[in-house]
Amino acid sequence: MTDSAQLQRDLARVALGDRAAFARVYQATSAHLFGVALRILNRRDVAEDVLQEAFVSVWHHAGSYQAASGQPMTWMISMVRNKALDVVRSAAVRHETEMPVTAEGEAIDIEDARPSPLQLLTQATDALAIRGCMEALDASHRQCLALAYCQGMSHCEVAAHMRAPLGSVKAWVRRGLERLKKCMENGQ
Amino acid sequence: MNYNRADLLDRLASEYVLGTLHGAARRRFDKLLIESPAARAAVRAWEQRLALLAAPVPPVAPPSRVWSATEARIASTAASTAAGRGPQRLWWSSLWKPALGFAFGAALTFALVQLMPGAFVSLDGLAQREQALPQSYVGLLQDSEGLPTLLISSTRHGTRVTVKSLRPVVVPAGKVAQVWALPKEGAPFPIGVAVPTKPHGGTAFEMSATSEKLLSTVTRLAVSFEGVPAQAGATPGDFILIGPCLKLW
Repeated sequence: MTDSAQLQRDLARVALGDRAAFARVYQATSAHLFGVALRILNRRDVAEDVLQEAFVSVWHHAGSYQAASGQPMTWMISMVRNKALDVVRSAAVRHETEMPVTAEGEAIDIEDARPSPLQLLTQATDALAIRGCMEALDASHRQCLALAYCQGMSHCEVAAHMRAPLGSVKAWVRRGLERLKKCMENGQ
Repeated sequence: MNYNRADLLDRLASEYVLGTLHGAARRRFDKLLIESPAARAAVRAWEQRLALLAAPVPPVAPPSRVWSATEARIASTAASTAAGRGPQRLWWSSLWKPALGFAFGAALTFALVQLMPGAFVSLDGLAQREQALPQSYVGLLQDSEGLPTLLISSTRHGTRVTVKSLRPVVVPAGKVAQVWALPKEGAPFPIGVAVPTKPHGGTAFEMSATSEKLLSTVTRLAVSFEGVPAQAGATPGDFILIGPCLKLW
């Protein structure tokens, strides 16, 4: 796991234009961030572009990162996710990768190598002791959140994936988020 | 849509972070994020909650070309500063950047406060430069994207306030750029009007009293666009620029 305090110090230096610190930030975080981008985008070439964009943004905006507002890794993950989601939402990346006809090669390799979103979610909750909150969610809520968050799926895509009505998926996502928030607030 | 309802705002923020808010609604929310601190806070809270879910996503080492391309781009932006974003960097700007960047970070980040001794030692000659500066109040105002935009400074016992543009500020026709002081406690109060300036241009105004008197408890400075220069007791409009105000001595 990345050393958060070190990362904060390096980001502070990046804000001052320190390129050596920027290289350290890249080294410490790029594999994790590339994993995040790849999972949402399903395509290496696009994920590489997104990663590059994200790091250029980190270079320019490191000064606006505020340690008080959270972990540096969270800030960087959000940056990557937002850029990846922009791409997914604005282009047909999703369709290209999800259509059986075109989803060959890399996309499938990646797919095969990865644990399911649900497994990932379970690992995350184990590791971070919020498992109780996740377990309190209905299975369908849990799966919706995992598909949307980790795979960048839209409501429609989640619905298609789960073979459930769109209206139900929307409700599950909303309730899942509400309950997660409530549980985490009560538990901490 | 009424974004003022806290629960609705929170719900939109949650789906924004989750990624299920899209299309026009996502774009509207993007816009709202620029304007609304409450929306930004809600998004940050959800990022904290949900980022936990990204922890076990398997890391994949990106190919080295990503780093090469990234490095080339930041190098070219650094080089093109001369022609592009920050033309003809003034001597003081390169002189001030480390000092202000440091001071700004210190005000906002606990981590940087911890870093302080190290930064002073390793930022070559910084201490020397600081000794050369007069005792001053300095504000570094950022735009909604967090980019440093205005540098506002005034000597400790002076009434004259110097304003430097680091980036262009476009004041809408018929409006003035009103500078506000935000004390640690209490309401913001107007300290003067900054004339719109080109990037790296400068302007100045006089305050009604010395910096020491007016700014000693002020932690932030901000700029809003007002129809007329604000009088004492006036309520500011939306802050277009905001940033920490620091004592530099």
